Amino acid sequence: MQSFIHSFQSEWLKKKGTLAFWLVFIGGFFIPLIFMARGIFYPKDFLGELKSPMFWDVLMNRSWQFMALLLLPLGVVMATSLVTQLEFKNNTWKQLNTTPQSLSVIFFSKFAVIIVMLLQFFVLFNVGIYLSALIPALIHGGADFYQRTLPFAFMFKTTSLFFLDCLPIVALQYLISLQFKNFLVPLGLGIGLLLASLIAMNWQYGYTMPYSYCPYYFFSLRQTKIGPNQVNFHYWALGYFVGFTLLSYLLFINKKEKG
Amino acid sequence: MTSIQVRDVSYQFSNQEYVLNNINLNVPEGSIYGFLGPNGAGKTTTLRLILGLIKKQKGEIEIFGKAFDKHRIEILSKIGSLIESPSLYGHLTAVENLKVWQKVYQSPENRIAEVLQMVGLAHTGRKKAGQFSLGMKQRLGIAVALLHNPSLLILDEPTNGLDPSGIVEMRELLKTLNQQHGITIIISSHLLGEIEKLVTDVGIINKGRMLFESSLTELMKRQHAASTIYFDTNNNAQALQLMHQQKIEAQIEKERIVAAQLSKQAIAQINQTLVANSIEVYGIRAIENDLESIFMNLTNN
Repeated sequence: MQSFIHSFQSEWLKKKGTLAFWLVFIGGFFIPLIFMARGIFYPKDFLGELKSPMFWDVLMNRSWQFMALLLLPLGVVMATSLVTQLEFKNNTWKQLNTTPQSLSVIFFSKFAVIIVMLLQFFVLFNVGIYLSALIPALIHGGADFYQRTLPFAFMFKTTSLFFLDCLPIVALQYLISLQFKNFLVPLGLGIGLLLASLIAMNWQYGYTMPYSYCPYYFFSLRQTKIGPNQVNFHYWALGYFVGFTLLSYLLFINKKEKG
Repeated sequence: MTSIQVRDVSYQFSNQEYVLNNINLNVPEGSIYGFLGPNGAGKTTTLRLILGLIKKQKGEIEIFGKAFDKHRIEILSKIGSLIESPSLYGHLTAVENLKVWQKVYQSPENRIAEVLQMVGLAHTGRKKAGQFSLGMKQRLGIAVALLHNPSLLILDEPTNGLDPSGIVEMRELLKTLNQQHGITIIISSHLLGEIEKLVTDVGIINKGRMLFESSLTELMKRQHAASTIYFDTNNNAQALQLMHQQKIEAQIEKERIVAAQLSKQAIAQINQTLVANSIEVYGIRAIENDLESIFMNLTNN
């Protein structure tokens, strides 16, 4: 365990100042910033919306709409590939694989960094949603804002399920990125699979597509009739995540050339 | 006691021919072992096998007297390595790069400043490793290898990209590490001249086969044994005849007699015989083959 913690710390340091690092911050605040700007520059609309008891539900629904359909899966594809490709780009696999730590520790510590970054992103996104209402309310004196209780339980549940639905993407992108030196391969495959999943959403077996669960969940939140009936796709997401992770691990430890 | 023992190791990439063919290598503890061979001879493949970067297919590899496969982590904790180009994170500074590895090795934080001082990179500040010159990158790669105070350093062509003064500095650093800190060093190179002033032991590899392995002193003896004596006289044909009568191997080349290595006494004896037979001797010269030509002879044959 000690070895894993040290390895995790080392992996965490590597991402400093990388595109993946910035992607978490920019991605987390991007959509909330747009809604914040809207609230600041169009106060009439914002103050009108504040009067509604459904204010938070509407704001969250809007925020997740753009995030869940494209930005979140795309961001996960990019961040996972970027973190993993750091070793290929810098020619550091050979150094990493000659450090006194097991290959399992190397594999899981890097994987854990990506998962923690994803959690970091969700925290920032939720903080961003809150700030996107708080700051315009402070500027324009929206007294109604303080009457609206933030639906913490709903936020937590939604975020947790979106997180779970992202995990198959993380695991498969990690698998691909560990196998291919060329950054374009995981990126291209990731975007291709995401598009295929979006296209297949109306297909009766669309839930078998591993990159489709964030959009499915978003539509299920809206109670739109898109998606599988009587199939709990969250279980599918979990199953794919475990399966891809195991496969990725086996491929990694049995790799003939380690740098 | 040997630090590295490689026995009958062979290696082939997929179904191609063997890149290593029954290699045997013994690196004595406390030595600086020069691992020589032309480009593509199998040096890097051997070093990568020793470090477990590629899977061993045949033979045995023991490091510090223990089988690498069974004691991988324990062995790697005592090894510092630099294989081919240095492994550095271009977006991080020298200190940040070392911190990445310091976390894994759990070496003391002040060791970072020490190794940077050792390799002359203490002044690099906020400059990213990606902006370093090749020589600076190479030195930072050495600093990474030294960070955890290893007992064995494995360096694959570490002087690549260094200017002449950089090569001298590197040589001095490695000598210091070996003599003052007792670190065993295996250093590969395709240039004998570059490392002959540094190494205590030599292994020569070509086309995946070990051609020679011994101490540098032994190689020097070979050099001495391979030296030749030139005789310049007014009658080479008669002089050659006289030498053959004394059972000395010699032949005429470019209007002078070339004899194999002779003792000082034998040279004096021949001179007396030639003068006694009224042959004028204009010059006798001993030419020692340099190590480079011995290396070339070994690898060409």
